[in-house]
Amino acid sequence: MSSATRTISRPRRFTGAGARWVPYAFIVPFSALFILFLIAPIFVAIGSSLFTVKSSGLGFGGDSAAVFAGVENYVRALTNSDFIASFGRVLLFGVVQVPVMMILAGGLALLFDSSLVKAKRLFQFAVFLPYAVPGVIAALLWGFLYQPAVSPVIQFLASIGIEANLLAPGTVLWAIANISIWSYTGINMIILFAALQSVPREMYEAARLDGADELRIAWSIKIPMIWPAFLLTTLSSIIGTLQLFSEPAVLKTITPNISSDFTPNMAVFSAATLGNNANLSSAMAVILGVATLVVSLVIMRVTNRRNGASRDA
Amino acid sequence: MKFYLAGPTRSRITMGVIASASALALLAGCSAGPASTGGDSASGASTVDFWGWVPGLEDLVDQYNKLDTGTTVTFHRMTGDDGTKVKAAVDAGAGPDVVQLSTHDLPDYVIAGRVQDITEFVSDDESNYTPSSWASVSFDGQVYGVPQGIGPAGMMYRTDMFEKYGITVPTTWDEYLDAARTIHAADPNVYIANMSPSEVGQWMQEVQQAESSWYGVDGDAWDVGINDEGSQLVAKRWQTLLDEGLVTTDTMWTPEYWANVNAGKIATISYAAWFPSLLASNAESTSGLWKIAALPVNEGSTNAGDSGGAADVVLKGAADPEAAAEFISWLNGSDDTQETMISVGGIFPSTKNGLASPALTSAVPFYGDQVVNEVFIDAAENTPATWVDGPNYGTAQTALTDEFAKVINGQTTFLEALDAAQAATVDDLKSRGLSVNE
Repeated sequence: MSSATRTISRPRRFTGAGARWVPYAFIVPFSALFILFLIAPIFVAIGSSLFTVKSSGLGFGGDSAAVFAGVENYVRALTNSDFIASFGRVLLFGVVQVPVMMILAGGLALLFDSSLVKAKRLFQFAVFLPYAVPGVIAALLWGFLYQPAVSPVIQFLASIGIEANLLAPGTVLWAIANISIWSYTGINMIILFAALQSVPREMYEAARLDGADELRIAWSIKIPMIWPAFLLTTLSSIIGTLQLFSEPAVLKTITPNISSDFTPNMAVFSAATLGNNANLSSAMAVILGVATLVVSLVIMRVTNRRNGASRDA
Repeated sequence: MKFYLAGPTRSRITMGVIASASALALLAGCSAGPASTGGDSASGASTVDFWGWVPGLEDLVDQYNKLDTGTTVTFHRMTGDDGTKVKAAVDAGAGPDVVQLSTHDLPDYVIAGRVQDITEFVSDDESNYTPSSWASVSFDGQVYGVPQGIGPAGMMYRTDMFEKYGITVPTTWDEYLDAARTIHAADPNVYIANMSPSEVGQWMQEVQQAESSWYGVDGDAWDVGINDEGSQLVAKRWQTLLDEGLVTTDTMWTPEYWANVNAGKIATISYAAWFPSLLASNAESTSGLWKIAALPVNEGSTNAGDSGGAADVVLKGAADPEAAAEFISWLNGSDDTQETMISVGGIFPSTKNGLASPALTSAVPFYGDQVVNEVFIDAAENTPATWVDGPNYGTAQTALTDEFAKVINGQTTFLEALDAAQAATVDDLKSRGLSVNE
């Protein structure tokens, strides 16, 4: 395909392409927005996290002012057991939710890539569709299904003698995981499916000639070939887990079992809005950002090593 | 478009420039600040941007704009989390000129300097307001807002259930407990009330009834009384109701909650004067089955309770505080606005002309044509003036609701929850450099 295009395309003339400022002009829109909305806020947050607003007496004297506090906010955040517990909670969530979702997405991608499935387009669309539903809406929809008095699912279970409470302290985390799996399996499936499509078909033919069945082909060819895509989607899922916010924030309105600091991001939000302490909130956000960075680096390091190993082998 | 297609290079550069220019325009738009804050009253043409949530405010704003005041008011109806955005908007210089606030949040705004002192513009209004409502907008002798309604409490109850099980309407909390036991024993699917761990207002009205307050001022330091004697009385009451399984524990305002109300699972709801109209619209199927009585009283007391009111305040960024103050003074105090505020807005007035308005004493069909506000007028007169709002209400409220969630799961008790919330609130005050009496 590419060679065909190449033969018919003529070399273009770029009359002004030699000017030195041209490349800079091209990157201005991106870098301006990137600096203003990503880099600058990071520095503003770090700066803000080093200050604290102090008043005196009753506070009505109009003397409240931001004073330099050093690491005070960081100490407060790190000694807040509820904030630390929220990290443990999302880690537990990630350890269960990410593998379940990735196995589902991988399994579905392999199924759609095989000849076993009829009406492929329809089913692919059906699996992908939840991703098109915004996270907040998804949580609202599932919220209805989780409330006994309005949920047909729970009422059905009750009619056959199963008392399900999906919003209890022990189950609410998995009720959230269920929403995440429902929402994001589709997009991961599509990425893995696209990776499968780019595997040269000749390899399957060769494997079949060698007597491999479909399962063997999937296990020994397809999965190793899409492993990088698999790791990429897993990494972004883990990062998404650490940033968990909208689903629990929406479900919080229907159950008291999601506290105001249920996830790290919710703790950041509630410190800033309900607690009215933007400085403490900034420190918490910086801690969350660093934690995410560390987790990402560790995973990338492990991934690269493994890729290197498989290439060597 | 064709013009730019003259050559590939030029078109790309042009597009690049257009893209960056529009990006810059976007940024400029973001940082332009309060576009709405208009000129000063000297020039005779001010614009006041107003955020509020009371139904019918659109009509009142229109009415004001037709008066020849030289001020044009623009209105934005607050929904969802608009309330949590206000502080950030003010700090960013992009806030409205006037906003409606819960009076519980006001001290926080005053200390952070987010509201303007409007004493000189509204001090003449004081005589038209109930003393407790005026006190809720006054700090250190200065006035920071105009009251917009209060929340005296009453008890909505299901007449049909009370009749069916031969229960007389409880007037004391002891009788209430007996009624709770009787009704649940007679029908295990019926509960006397719902204890929503997130609904702090229902908690506060009983705390105030017990002559307690979360905050107090003693000298130049704050008192914190979230776990004081009155609160402990309320805690023991609900602990008994919870331990004996006499209440449901759903989160209020959820589909689950309203489904249970409609299904007749809940026999009484105690809440503020603004609640009856919400009950009527969310539980239409139970029309005619409810009546409203006074909140049951504590032994040896005739006190009623109040969960707090609202106020309109002039925010820091307002260019013309005088015009803004004049508007909120008219909106809340004028004889022309009382009827709309009461009958459309569902506000229980904090004004004397409002309390005298015939709109307040109309019969309500949902409650079997009862003149429900008679109960609330009585409650307003019997509410002790003990409640003081403090500087970190948000922190106290969050701590309490998070702890109450553990209580209804049996992980802790109401008394322990109060102690935990007290400690969290005191710690937070200290971290702000404020003085706390201990």
